[in-house]
Amino acid sequence: MTQALLSVRDLVVEFPKRKTRLTALDKVSFDIHPGEILGMVGESGAGKSLTGAAIIGLLEPPGHIASGEIWLKDQRIDQLPYDQMRRLRGKRIAMIFQDPLTSLNPILTIANQLIETIQTHLPLNDKEARARAIQLLDEVGIPAASKRIDDYPHQFSGGMRQRVVIALALAGEPELIIADEPTTALDVSVQAQIIDVLKRMCHVHKTAVMLVTHDMGVIAEACDRVAVMYAGRIAEIGEVRQIVKQPQHPYTQGLMGSIPSITERVERLTQIPGSMPRLDAIPTGCAFNPRCTQKIDRCTEDRPDLIATDQGQVSCWLYEGDKP
Amino acid sequence: MTQQVLLEVNELSCHFDVSKPWLNRMIEREPQRFLTAVDQVSFSVNRGETFALVGESGSGKSTIAKLIVDLIHPSSGDIRFDGQSLPNTRGEAFKTLRRRIQMIFQDPFASLNPRWRVGDIIAEPIHAFGLAKSQVEVTRTVEELLDKVGLAGRDRHKYPHEFSGGQRQRIAIARALSAQPDFLVCDEPTSALDVSVQAQILNLMRDLQDEFGLTYLFISHDLSVVKHMADRIGVLYLGSMVENSPSDQLFKQPAHPYTRMLLDAIPDHEMSGRRRKQVTGEIPSPIDPPSGCTFHPRCEFANAKCKQQRPAVHETQGSLVSCWASEEGRIATITG
Repeated sequence: MTQALLSVRDLVVEFPKRKTRLTALDKVSFDIHPGEILGMVGESGAGKSLTGAAIIGLLEPPGHIASGEIWLKDQRIDQLPYDQMRRLRGKRIAMIFQDPLTSLNPILTIANQLIETIQTHLPLNDKEARARAIQLLDEVGIPAASKRIDDYPHQFSGGMRQRVVIALALAGEPELIIADEPTTALDVSVQAQIIDVLKRMCHVHKTAVMLVTHDMGVIAEACDRVAVMYAGRIAEIGEVRQIVKQPQHPYTQGLMGSIPSITERVERLTQIPGSMPRLDAIPTGCAFNPRCTQKIDRCTEDRPDLIATDQGQVSCWLYEGDKP
Repeated sequence: MTQQVLLEVNELSCHFDVSKPWLNRMIEREPQRFLTAVDQVSFSVNRGETFALVGESGSGKSTIAKLIVDLIHPSSGDIRFDGQSLPNTRGEAFKTLRRRIQMIFQDPFASLNPRWRVGDIIAEPIHAFGLAKSQVEVTRTVEELLDKVGLAGRDRHKYPHEFSGGQRQRIAIARALSAQPDFLVCDEPTSALDVSVQAQILNLMRDLQDEFGLTYLFISHDLSVVKHMADRIGVLYLGSMVENSPSDQLFKQPAHPYTRMLLDAIPDHEMSGRRRKQVTGEIPSPIDPPSGCTFHPRCEFANAKCKQQRPAVHETQGSLVSCWASEEGRIATITG
């Protein structure tokens, strides 16, 4: 196997409070390989977006990385000084945000924003940068790119804006793109188009993507591997087909069952009782144990680490001893 | 025997005036401009049934919801509820009629007053319609309702901020039920919620439907949710209803090209290897809609007739479809 592009090891992110600390991410470990799309799925507050923010160094203070390591190829990036991190951002790791309207500057033309980004990262003169910008817009499927480049963001529709944002992310020719809910603000028909652009771009440029979403449909469409997060921890990680077809962790099983199917009609959806615990009230042992239907004694005492099974890794005591 | 049809919508239209101010228009010599949000939509909902409206943003789903609960007044057309015309009824008769139609909104963080206790929020319709004789009775009803939607009776002392999104939506449902309605208009009731919470709310809504014999108008952009909930589905595109079919029929044999496109756009979360076609284009502006069939610029079956003439509604296999290509048999039927 090739060397991992991004390697996250036992990442812990904490938010200090007056007397206590909230552990928002608790020993998160995963790898992303070059050209791979890794999905991060989970419910609101599970820590998906926070993982992305921690990697790219955009944690909102007072949140901070308390322990753990983040490696981008051979470089450790979790302790880089601000200035070096700034140079890395956009150049080696780029980010796509959820809302394409707020991630573009409304008073600058698309040309301005793209050319500025390109020239920050690549040694091109104005003319070359403009040609490159048009080429990028063309690649992400904006019709008549050479005419539309001088338009303002409000002249584009939601889907087109998100294409511009993808072009912006690609401008510095990054090795990794962190896409945080890139299709959530869009209609389903446009969503399908955007996923397609994202997949094609990764394939062409051999860019790795960490795709953060709450939508299992998007994961199944776009990703190679998927990590399921619950209460700041990774519940399960593995090949997307395995997770979709044969989820191992009881939480993933419940999650998959709660999505209405369009191929068959069921009378009742599976529902997971209760809701995700608040960060200041995470139960001891496995964080999922109060809602779990397959709970054993050990679950309330010891916290399970990721256990390797023949289908991937799962943090659940039920799979202890199944080691291949 | 009571009437089968509970709600009947007849050629309902709603235009919004989006002109510039009068003085600007006079100086710049510009005509008035109108946005057609809902364009001659007709459908009917049977008692105890769930009718769903689906479509992309800007297709007029929420406008229809607001028209039905009389938050906005239609430009033309009629809405008949249990035989009585809603836009033409006023006064005391209207109040009685309106009690029977309640609404659940999309965002449970915006639809509950943050300064009111949950008990007061739920009791408000009871007071407004004079449904209880004494304060004791109000309290008892509120506690019963909270219990029905899966919360505890003592939760009535709390404020909305003490609840999660899913719990707030339960409170919104309890408030809607407190008026003892027959008909609930649900405008994207689960789109602000996580999937596992969505499953809880959808299950609850179905249980309540069975228990109280409710009729739902269910608005959603998520076709898999709609498939789970609806008996009949109306597909909206740019304010017009392009297809109105029984749920099973719509998913098995979508008649309108737009419906097919929507179905193709749903992500295949089960990875069943369902065959899909690439979706193209976006919904055009409703201020200046395309001529003829409004879908023709995105339609692969469009010909000269589609560009000029607006298709009439015709019936095929229980579906009401507005499409020339379907009517003339230019679309090969697909099954499966």
